[in-house]
Amino acid sequence: MLRRDFLKALAASLVVYQQPLLAMNNGEKQPPKVVWVMLRGALDALHTVVPTFESSMKIHRPTLYPSIEHKLLPLAQVSSMQQGYALHPALVNLHQWYQQKQLLPIVAVSSGYPKRSHFEAQDYLESALPVPDLDSGWLARAIALKNKQAIAIAQSTPISLRGSNQHSNTWYPSRLPDAEQQTYQALQQLYQDSPQLLTRLEEGLNMEALLGEKNMQKKQQGSFISLSKSCGQLLSQPTMDCAMLTLGGWDTHKNQTGQLQRQLSLLDKGLQALKTELGEQWDNTLVIVATEFGRTVKENGTRGTDHGTASALFLAGGKIQGGQILGKWPGLQAEQLHQQRDLKATSHHFDWIAASLQQHWQLTDQQVQHIFPTAKVYQGKMFRA
Amino acid sequence: MAMQGSKKEFFNATIATQRFALGARPDEIKKINDNAQQWLLTQLDASPTVTFDHALATANSILIAHTEFTKNRKAFRKQQADKTIPTAMAEMDSANQMSEMQAMSSESKEPEKSKEPKNPHNDFYKALTADALKQTIESENSFNWRCLAFFSNHFSVSAQGQLMTGLAPTLEREAIAPNLYGHFDELLLAVCQHPAMLIYLNNENSIGPSTRFAKKNRGLNENLAREILELHTLGVDGGYQQQDVTELAKGITGWSVFKPGKDKQQGFIYHKGKHEPGTRTLLGKSYPPQGLSQGKQMLKDIANHPSTARFVSTKIVQSFISDQAPEELVNHLTTQWIKTNGHLKSVFQALINHPLSWQTQQQKYKTPYEYVISTYRALAVKKLNIRQVQNALNTLGQRPFKAGSPAGYSDQQQDWDGASALMARVNWASQIAGKKQFAKTNINILIENTFSNTLSTHSYQVITRAESRQQALTLLLLSPEFLTR
Repeated sequence: MLRRDFLKALAASLVVYQQPLLAMNNGEKQPPKVVWVMLRGALDALHTVVPTFESSMKIHRPTLYPSIEHKLLPLAQVSSMQQGYALHPALVNLHQWYQQKQLLPIVAVSSGYPKRSHFEAQDYLESALPVPDLDSGWLARAIALKNKQAIAIAQSTPISLRGSNQHSNTWYPSRLPDAEQQTYQALQQLYQDSPQLLTRLEEGLNMEALLGEKNMQKKQQGSFISLSKSCGQLLSQPTMDCAMLTLGGWDTHKNQTGQLQRQLSLLDKGLQALKTELGEQWDNTLVIVATEFGRTVKENGTRGTDHGTASALFLAGGKIQGGQILGKWPGLQAEQLHQQRDLKATSHHFDWIAASLQQHWQLTDQQVQHIFPTAKVYQGKMFRA
Repeated sequence: MAMQGSKKEFFNATIATQRFALGARPDEIKKINDNAQQWLLTQLDASPTVTFDHALATANSILIAHTEFTKNRKAFRKQQADKTIPTAMAEMDSANQMSEMQAMSSESKEPEKSKEPKNPHNDFYKALTADALKQTIESENSFNWRCLAFFSNHFSVSAQGQLMTGLAPTLEREAIAPNLYGHFDELLLAVCQHPAMLIYLNNENSIGPSTRFAKKNRGLNENLAREILELHTLGVDGGYQQQDVTELAKGITGWSVFKPGKDKQQGFIYHKGKHEPGTRTLLGKSYPPQGLSQGKQMLKDIANHPSTARFVSTKIVQSFISDQAPEELVNHLTTQWIKTNGHLKSVFQALINHPLSWQTQQQKYKTPYEYVISTYRALAVKKLNIRQVQNALNTLGQRPFKAGSPAGYSDQQQDWDGASALMARVNWASQIAGKKQFAKTNINILIENTFSNTLSTHSYQVITRAESRQQALTLLLLSPEFLTR
């Protein structure tokens, strides 16, 4: 973009940003919103959406399964076809969402990435291309096509949102007092020949204006809960369509019971905080929670689990077709496992993400093909009327 | 970028201090003059390459302190639990007695209600990282410190949990610094036998599955083996399979860490009985059962594998020179690596001597670490307050040993140049510039000492025409020429 165009666009967006505070509270229905939550480190799905009907769980996981077995939160079965799953005891709010038909867990999914490196697998999940392009994320392609605005709650743009600079931004709380206004003006002059720095500076100033003084006063490095809360506030603006959150700490090679208890509780409370902030917009929101891959079916020698293949995916929102479990269960018998060690994937993340995004944002088949070239789009209805 | 002057030597001196080392201290550029390459090559011969305060804690002393701490805490908690058992009457009685006793003897300073033993690890972490930061900021061999930081991040260990908080900073001091310019296989072995790495990646409890020590919840853990192959040596595309991960994991079963009070020997311990017996096959090569030597030979071979040479050479070029590593330079380093069996000094000599390393265009955006260190080096504070440096790294997002992942911190521009990250630097720089100790900074001298004559005319004018000294210093620290290297 030429600098002049950029400044024009910037001026326009500044005007837009000044309106929302008024528009925000009157409960008007805003355009559909998306929250993309990435759990980095590989969540152990068998410890999260637990297949209680598998009698071999205790054999595969002699210490891990008994640690939660009697406290699990059962998920009601929609039909007799469906088997008995249960949620980890820490997922109190998500369990309630499920009962309100606002949570849709999908089991045995993978990104299609065949190996077990965190970093490559995350690239796959964020890029959604057969050969990951670190400068082109699926969410970026979607917002560019639909001319939507996105914000990543992060220090810098994650891969998911790369490739659509005009449409996305980053925000992360800082703990320092603000520099003086004059310094910003001088910096704009200093960056006259450095377009990249100038862009970043303008974006940063926009963000701070957007969040308002109230938030800036109690600047704190965020825990996931407060980041989720800020995310909800930012997303409540009518001009903001989409946000990305990440939560790490899922690589549970060792003593995973306690670690997952803490992590899942954090996730549960954070998502609840997001819902609370979104208020009436919750009915208008699609939340997607995914992790790069699953973990070994058997626990390892140190009360943890190693890198595996299939994991679980969560869709949520006020109108999601929740209260049921989707995804074909591959089974836990030796011959049913992938390479005799991992839960086998029976579908890919993007089959489901593509379907929900298509229905939520009214994408054409062609657009879906562009955003998710590898997806076999799920054909069922993802939302309730 | 338009340059003011044209004296080539000062370009090279600035590049040597900014790109290769960690930023110029006030007299450094003048001292280097037209000997930029020689200045760097000489550092490779420094002995020791970097200096630490050896009076500080070591991995061994931290492990001993940890055992002591957990023992005392357990005893304390047991004591507390026992105390709550007596009836309320007895408690009241004892409380009365206590206050009487205390009233009678004002000398009894030790109240009955003792405090829970203090976790020592935060103090270890603070002291050890403070030492490294101070030495780095004050060093005359800051190229060596960049090389150390590179490998410390290549073999990233994270300060997470009580024990690792104290232990993480010891890896670079004890395993990496002594092997900084030796052969890579020696460096790899030292790292893989160091308590910090063994504990961080869970190898200290990894037990051969067919040994008598294996039980239903005690056995193999492949975490360290996988990261060695993926992150430390071959790279994820280096041509290994899941089978190779498992085989290497078995090859290093029994590689563990001494238990204070139980083991006589300190540091690395090899438990023969927990080592998986039998022949291992890694990347198609067989390794007969030879106890400890089996795993050592496996590590040596992957350290000298051509994939390792290319993977680490690429990382070096990306880290030192450009995110888009020039193929020619990577090939040059890889060739040198293979020719010298991974002799790191030769590899760095190759980097220093190649013209592609000296292009005038600044192609690297400083990480928060580089940014903070180079700021403090440029300002050459007399009474350095290390807490400030530690807080700065915290605020800007790169606390030492807090990457939280064995892949370490990224040094690519796209991971650090977000809008919010820049705002954090703006706020930090203006706060630093507002400190009383810099109120008298002569901005022209600082520009000359930091950039020589390489600052663009535009930046020079905006900075020197700032409305206050404080603003001039803020702008200098935020200029494109200082944010990049």
